[in-house]
Amino acid sequence: MIDTILFYLGIGLLFIGGVMDIIASIGFFKFKDFYTRLHAATVGAIGGGFYPLLGVALAVMGLDVDLWFKAVFSGVSLITAAIIALGVPAGSHILARSVYRSREVEPAVIADRLREDLEGGGSN
Amino acid sequence: MVSIETILSFTPVLAGLFTLAMIIYSLRVFTSKNLGDAVLAIDALTVDLIVLMILVALYYRTPYLLIGVIPLASWIFLLDLIVSRYLEKRRSK
Repeated sequence: MIDTILFYLGIGLLFIGGVMDIIASIGFFKFKDFYTRLHAATVGAIGGGFYPLLGVALAVMGLDVDLWFKAVFSGVSLITAAIIALGVPAGSHILARSVYRSREVEPAVIADRLREDLEGGGSN
Repeated sequence: MVSIETILSFTPVLAGLFTLAMIIYSLRVFTSKNLGDAVLAIDALTVDLIVLMILVALYYRTPYLLIGVIPLASWIFLLDLIVSRYLEKRRSK
Protein backbone atom coordinates (compact mmCIF):
# COMPACT_ATOMS: atom_id res chain seq x y z
CA MET A 1 0.00 0.00 0.00
CA ILE A 2 2.72 2.46 1.00
CA ASP A 3 4.68 1.45 -2.11
CA THR A 4 1.80 2.38 -4.40
CA ILE A 5 1.36 5.73 -2.64
CA LEU A 6 5.10 6.48 -2.95
CA PHE A 7 5.16 5.48 -6.62
CA TYR A 8 2.21 7.60 -7.70
CA LEU A 9 3.38 10.54 -5.57
CA GLY A 10 6.71 10.38 -7.40
CA ILE A 11 5.07 10.13 -10.82
CA GLY A 12 2.87 13.11 -9.93
CA LEU A 13 5.93 15.14 -8.94
CA LEU A 14 7.59 14.18 -12.24
CA PHE A 15 4.59 15.34 -14.27
CA ILE A 16 4.33 18.59 -12.27
CA GLY A 17 8.04 19.15 -12.96
CA GLY A 18 7.65 18.56 -16.68
CA VAL A 19 4.73 20.98 -16.99
CA MET A 20 6.54 23.63 -14.91
CA ASP A 21 9.63 23.20 -17.08
CA ILE A 22 7.64 23.85 -20.26
CA ILE A 23 6.01 26.92 -18.64
CA ALA A 24 9.47 28.18 -17.61
CA SER A 25 10.89 27.68 -21.09
CA ILE A 26 7.99 29.56 -22.71
CA GLY A 27 8.50 32.37 -20.21
CA PHE A 28 12.23 32.33 -20.87
CA PHE A 29 11.55 32.69 -24.58
CA LYS A 30 8.92 35.42 -24.27
CA PHE A 31 10.40 37.75 -21.65
CA LYS A 32 12.19 40.82 -22.94
CA ASP A 33 14.95 41.49 -20.41
CA PHE A 34 17.72 39.55 -18.69
CA TYR A 35 16.52 40.56 -15.24
CA THR A 36 12.97 39.31 -15.88
CA ARG A 37 14.32 36.09 -17.39
CA LEU A 38 15.93 35.33 -14.02
CA HIS A 39 12.45 34.57 -12.61
CA ALA A 40 11.72 32.06 -15.40
CA ALA A 41 15.13 30.46 -14.90
CA THR A 42 14.37 29.94 -11.20
CA VAL A 43 11.07 28.24 -12.08
CA GLY A 44 12.97 26.06 -14.54
CA ALA A 45 15.60 25.08 -11.98
CA ILE A 46 13.46 24.40 -8.91
CA GLY A 47 10.24 23.35 -10.64
CA GLY A 48 11.91 21.59 -13.55
CA GLY A 49 14.90 20.06 -11.78
CA PHE A 50 14.33 19.76 -8.04
CA TYR A 51 10.77 18.38 -8.05
CA PRO A 52 11.36 15.72 -10.76
CA LEU A 53 14.48 14.44 -8.99
CA LEU A 54 12.55 14.13 -5.72
CA GLY A 55 9.85 12.37 -7.75
CA VAL A 56 12.35 9.86 -9.17
CA ALA A 57 13.69 9.19 -5.66
CA LEU A 58 10.16 8.54 -4.34
CA ALA A 59 8.98 6.51 -7.34
CA VAL A 60 11.98 4.18 -7.31
CA MET A 61 11.43 3.43 -3.63
CA GLY A 62 7.99 2.02 -4.48
CA LEU A 63 9.15 -0.22 -7.33
CA ASP A 64 9.53 -3.99 -7.16
CA VAL A 65 13.30 -4.12 -7.71
CA ASP A 66 16.45 -5.07 -5.81
CA LEU A 67 17.64 -3.04 -2.86
CA TRP A 68 20.86 -1.85 -4.55
CA PHE A 69 18.81 -0.50 -7.48
CA LYS A 70 16.60 1.54 -5.15
CA ALA A 71 19.62 2.75 -3.16
CA VAL A 72 21.62 3.85 -6.23
CA PHE A 73 18.74 5.62 -7.98
CA SER A 74 17.23 7.37 -4.99
CA GLY A 75 20.66 8.29 -3.55
CA VAL A 76 21.93 9.85 -6.77
CA SER A 77 18.60 11.65 -7.28
CA LEU A 78 18.57 13.11 -3.76
CA ILE A 79 22.22 14.24 -3.89
CA THR A 80 21.67 15.86 -7.30
CA ALA A 81 18.49 17.53 -6.06
CA ALA A 82 20.43 18.98 -3.11
CA ILE A 83 23.22 20.25 -5.39
CA ILE A 84 20.67 21.86 -7.74
CA ALA A 85 18.68 23.45 -4.90
CA LEU A 86 21.85 24.95 -3.42
CA GLY A 87 23.88 25.70 -6.54
CA VAL A 88 21.50 27.11 -9.13
CA PRO A 89 20.05 30.02 -7.04
CA ALA A 90 23.54 31.01 -5.88
CA GLY A 91 24.87 30.77 -9.42
CA SER A 92 22.12 32.87 -10.96
CA HIS A 93 22.58 35.42 -8.18
CA ILE A 94 26.29 35.92 -8.84
CA LEU A 95 25.58 35.97 -12.57
CA ALA A 96 23.01 38.76 -12.11
CA ARG A 97 25.43 40.70 -9.90
CA SER A 98 28.30 40.52 -12.38
CA VAL A 99 26.04 41.29 -15.36
CA TYR A 100 24.76 44.40 -13.56
CA ARG A 101 28.19 45.58 -12.47
CA SER A 102 29.87 44.97 -15.82
CA ARG A 103 27.07 46.84 -17.71
CA GLU A 104 26.48 43.82 -19.95
CA VAL A 105 22.72 44.52 -19.70
CA GLU A 106 21.27 47.78 -18.44
CA PRO A 107 18.03 47.34 -16.45
CA ALA A 108 14.98 49.11 -17.89
CA VAL A 109 14.22 51.34 -14.89
CA ILE A 110 13.48 55.05 -14.45
CA ALA A 111 15.83 55.77 -11.57
CA ASP A 112 18.80 53.55 -10.68
CA ARG A 113 19.97 54.42 -7.19
CA LEU A 114 22.40 51.52 -6.92
CA ARG A 115 24.26 52.71 -10.02
CA GLU A 116 24.41 56.23 -8.59
CA ASP A 117 25.81 54.88 -5.33
CA LEU A 118 28.36 52.69 -7.11
CA GLU A 119 29.64 55.50 -9.31
CA GLY A 120 28.93 58.49 -7.15
CA GLY A 121 32.46 58.78 -5.84
CA GLY A 122 31.65 57.11 -2.56
CA SER A 123 33.54 54.24 -1.02
CA ASN A 124 33.21 51.76 -3.88
CA MET B 1 4.79 -3.46 -4.74
CA VAL B 2 4.50 -1.74 -8.09
CA SER B 3 5.98 -3.66 -11.00
CA ILE B 4 8.85 -2.00 -12.87
CA GLU B 5 6.94 -2.34 -16.15
CA THR B 6 4.55 0.34 -14.87
CA ILE B 7 7.22 3.03 -15.05
CA LEU B 8 8.07 2.11 -18.64
CA SER B 9 4.72 3.54 -19.74
CA PHE B 10 5.41 6.90 -18.05
CA THR B 11 9.04 7.60 -18.96
CA PRO B 12 8.60 8.25 -22.74
CA VAL B 13 5.90 10.88 -22.04
CA LEU B 14 8.06 12.55 -19.39
CA ALA B 15 11.12 12.48 -21.66
CA GLY B 16 9.01 14.14 -24.35
CA LEU B 17 7.97 16.93 -21.97
CA PHE B 18 11.56 17.67 -20.95
CA THR B 19 12.80 17.44 -24.55
CA LEU B 20 10.21 19.99 -25.67
CA ALA B 21 11.37 22.34 -22.91
CA MET B 22 15.01 21.79 -23.98
CA ILE B 23 14.15 22.70 -27.58
CA ILE B 24 12.55 26.00 -26.51
CA TYR B 25 15.50 26.81 -24.22
CA SER B 26 17.99 26.12 -27.02
CA LEU B 27 16.09 28.49 -29.34
CA ARG B 28 16.86 31.22 -26.79
CA VAL B 29 20.50 30.16 -26.57
CA PHE B 30 20.95 30.56 -30.33
CA THR B 31 19.13 33.91 -30.50
CA SER B 32 20.50 35.50 -27.33
CA LYS B 33 21.98 38.97 -27.61
CA ASN B 34 24.27 38.93 -24.57
CA LEU B 35 26.29 36.54 -22.47
CA GLY B 36 23.98 36.53 -19.45
CA ASP B 37 20.98 35.14 -21.34
CA ALA B 38 23.07 32.40 -22.95
CA VAL B 39 24.61 31.27 -19.65
CA LEU B 40 21.24 31.32 -17.88
CA ALA B 41 19.68 29.22 -20.65
CA ILE B 42 22.61 26.77 -20.58
CA ASP B 43 22.03 26.36 -16.81
CA ALA B 44 18.40 25.46 -17.44
CA LEU B 45 19.43 23.12 -20.29
CA THR B 46 21.85 21.32 -17.99
CA VAL B 47 19.15 20.82 -15.34
CA ASP B 48 16.89 19.30 -18.01
CA LEU B 49 19.72 17.09 -19.26
CA ILE B 50 20.23 15.73 -15.72
CA VAL B 51 16.55 14.77 -15.46
CA LEU B 52 16.63 13.21 -18.94
CA MET B 53 19.72 11.15 -18.09
CA ILE B 54 18.05 9.79 -14.96
CA LEU B 55 14.87 8.98 -16.92
CA VAL B 56 16.83 7.14 -19.62
CA ALA B 57 18.76 5.20 -16.97
CA LEU B 58 15.44 4.27 -15.35
CA TYR B 59 14.01 3.18 -18.71
CA TYR B 60 16.92 0.87 -19.50
CA ARG B 61 17.31 -0.22 -15.83
CA THR B 62 21.06 0.38 -15.76
CA PRO B 63 22.89 2.47 -13.15
CA TYR B 64 25.91 3.27 -15.33
CA LEU B 65 24.38 6.41 -16.86
CA LEU B 66 24.12 7.88 -13.36
CA ILE B 67 27.90 8.26 -13.03
CA GLY B 68 27.94 11.55 -14.88
CA VAL B 69 24.96 13.12 -13.15
CA ILE B 70 26.55 14.55 -9.98
CA PRO B 71 29.56 16.16 -11.78
CA LEU B 72 27.11 17.62 -14.32
CA ALA B 73 25.10 19.21 -11.49
CA SER B 74 28.29 20.68 -10.05
CA TRP B 75 29.20 22.16 -13.43
CA ILE B 76 26.17 24.46 -13.30
CA PHE B 77 27.56 26.42 -10.37
CA LEU B 78 31.11 26.34 -11.77
CA LEU B 79 29.97 27.75 -15.13
CA ASP B 80 28.18 30.64 -13.41
CA LEU B 81 31.23 31.35 -11.25
CA ILE B 82 33.68 31.32 -14.18
CA VAL B 83 31.51 33.52 -16.42
CA SER B 84 30.85 36.04 -13.65
CA ARG B 85 34.58 36.27 -12.88
CA TYR B 86 35.23 36.88 -16.57
CA LEU B 87 32.63 39.65 -16.69
CA GLU B 88 33.99 41.34 -13.55
CA LYS B 89 37.54 41.23 -14.92
CA ARG B 90 36.40 42.68 -18.23
CA ARG B 91 34.79 45.60 -16.36
CA SER B 92 38.00 46.49 -14.52
CA LYS B 93 40.02 46.82 -17.74
